[in-house]
Amino acid sequence: MAGAYPVLIGDELKTFLKGPVSVLVGTRDSRLVPEITRAWGPYVSEDRQRVSLCVPLATSRKALDNLEGNGEIAVTFSLPRNYRTFQLKGRHATTAEPDSTDLAVVERHRDAFATVNEALGQSRQHVEAFWRAEIETSAVLVKIIFAPEQVFDQTPGPGAGRIL
Amino acid sequence: MSTSSPLAVALESIASCFEGIIPASICTCSADGKPNLTYLSIVHRVDSHHVGLSYQFFNKTRENMMHNAFVQVFVVSPSNMRQYRLDLLYERTETEGVIFDRVKMRLDAVASQTGMSHVFRLRGVDIFQVLDCRPMNAETSGEGLPRVDYLPQIEEFTARLAAYSGLESLINVSFDALSALFGYDHSFLMVPDEDSKRLFTLGSRGFGESGIGSEAWIGEGILGVAAERREVVRTTNFSRDVLYSNAVRSTVERRGEDSLIEREIALPGLPQVQSQLVVPLVAQDRLLGILCLQSAIAGRFLSDDERAVRIAARQMAASMALLERTQSTTPQEIPRQPHTVQPVATSTIKHYKADDSIFIDDAYLIKGIAGRIFWKLVQSYAQSGRADFTNKEIRLDASLQLPNIKDNLEATSDLATPPFTGPL
Repeated sequence: MAGAYPVLIGDELKTFLKGPVSVLVGTRDSRLVPEITRAWGPYVSEDRQRVSLCVPLATSRKALDNLEGNGEIAVTFSLPRNYRTFQLKGRHATTAEPDSTDLAVVERHRDAFATVNEALGQSRQHVEAFWRAEIETSAVLVKIIFAPEQVFDQTPGPGAGRIL
Repeated sequence: MSTSSPLAVALESIASCFEGIIPASICTCSADGKPNLTYLSIVHRVDSHHVGLSYQFFNKTRENMMHNAFVQVFVVSPSNMRQYRLDLLYERTETEGVIFDRVKMRLDAVASQTGMSHVFRLRGVDIFQVLDCRPMNAETSGEGLPRVDYLPQIEEFTARLAAYSGLESLINVSFDALSALFGYDHSFLMVPDEDSKRLFTLGSRGFGESGIGSEAWIGEGILGVAAERREVVRTTNFSRDVLYSNAVRSTVERRGEDSLIEREIALPGLPQVQSQLVVPLVAQDRLLGILCLQSAIAGRFLSDDERAVRIAARQMAASMALLERTQSTTPQEIPRQPHTVQPVATSTIKHYKADDSIFIDDAYLIKGIAGRIFWKLVQSYAQSGRADFTNKEIRLDASLQLPNIKDNLEATSDLATPPFTGPL
């Protein structure tokens, strides 16, 4: 059955995930009520089977509870420049404390994200308000790790949701 | 419908999140517990406890919400980048009525502009009950934006409009007042031709020396669709609409369905237009024209602006209709006086049929209707030496395809010089 095993992340997708993408995480609770949170610093593991990202604790408590409860996760990566979007789904997401490498990836990602939005006419200060608000009550980040089992082309239009 | 309890954040207090300036996202969950997350272009605020989402394509989101009515939408405030979660419960899908028409209008107008009329088709508007609206960070509340009160400006606008004495004066006074009272610095007014097939620019403000001078087919593009349906079309982030359309266009092309795509129409006006407000000028159930406001700033025209301009446009349309009625049925003719022309230099006049533009010694002068009239007069002069013409004969000349505004030829020289095009 499709999606039973982790997929290997190819070069093109790996490059895309490393770019200045907007990252949103979808989870659900035991009543199947969804919860969205914003993540930073996506990183593809050496074996290309796992993706990690960091979410602010202050904004993601319910999402983290959901992951602890059932591990089901969907993450979209979207390029602000042209709406190119991929969705990765996994079933056994776990959490951990980010190390200094993870935090450096987060910093790089935020910087690239601000730069690409700057080119689209948003001031850097305006975009930075995004993550400032997220961490205003607590600066703690939590790392989420999951093995994608399905990859979808989620670019808007009639073909959105095509499995890759 | 269940009794509504107050939301953590009132939808009214984050009104700019529902303007389509920053894309929203939606998360659904399948019956077997798999979340699905995707982007949305706009969340429509229906009332204090309901929102609407356009249904264009059948996809996983829709499949999921038919099996599990719990949905979450995530919106971002363009004013301060605060993020909010809306916990929703799917209620119903509307395929007609006020909300459906409102959503369809905007979608059709943008689709027509970007050549995607056959791709962007509204099947329905899904209506959701808002169970709660929560700030992403507990410390965040509403946007805290003061509500704009345009009442004093509208009062002043109508007072200034009362001072007009003719069409050109009416247009000038309106443009001045829109700029001075509301800060709408880029505006133009288009009127339909006699066959009601095309719109011509009658006047413009804030577009540099050459003005706009464009024409639009009624029914085509944002301007043409607004005119045809006599509805307001407000665009809050045009470059995003174009990006979104291009993304969909690429998908359609990849699927080999190129035949669905029509030609993209260039939007006249500001090269970097982000916000646009097109308001039809209707009086006595007749379309007299459209008023178009533009800005290079995304989110410049919000719902309060739309309300204010709707009132202003109604006042302008009523004044235009009154002008038509009170105007003498016999146009005043210019007294004929013999002219003796003493040539002092030679100039080459070029006329380009495509847009009726006129160049004198390679310098642009005018285009559109004004260009056509100018060319007609110059030709007559070259053929017969005739230098005097009446407004009446120009009006009656079908080859000129003049717009259906009766006194535009009585416009003063203010209107005949750039940036205005159209009347002489």
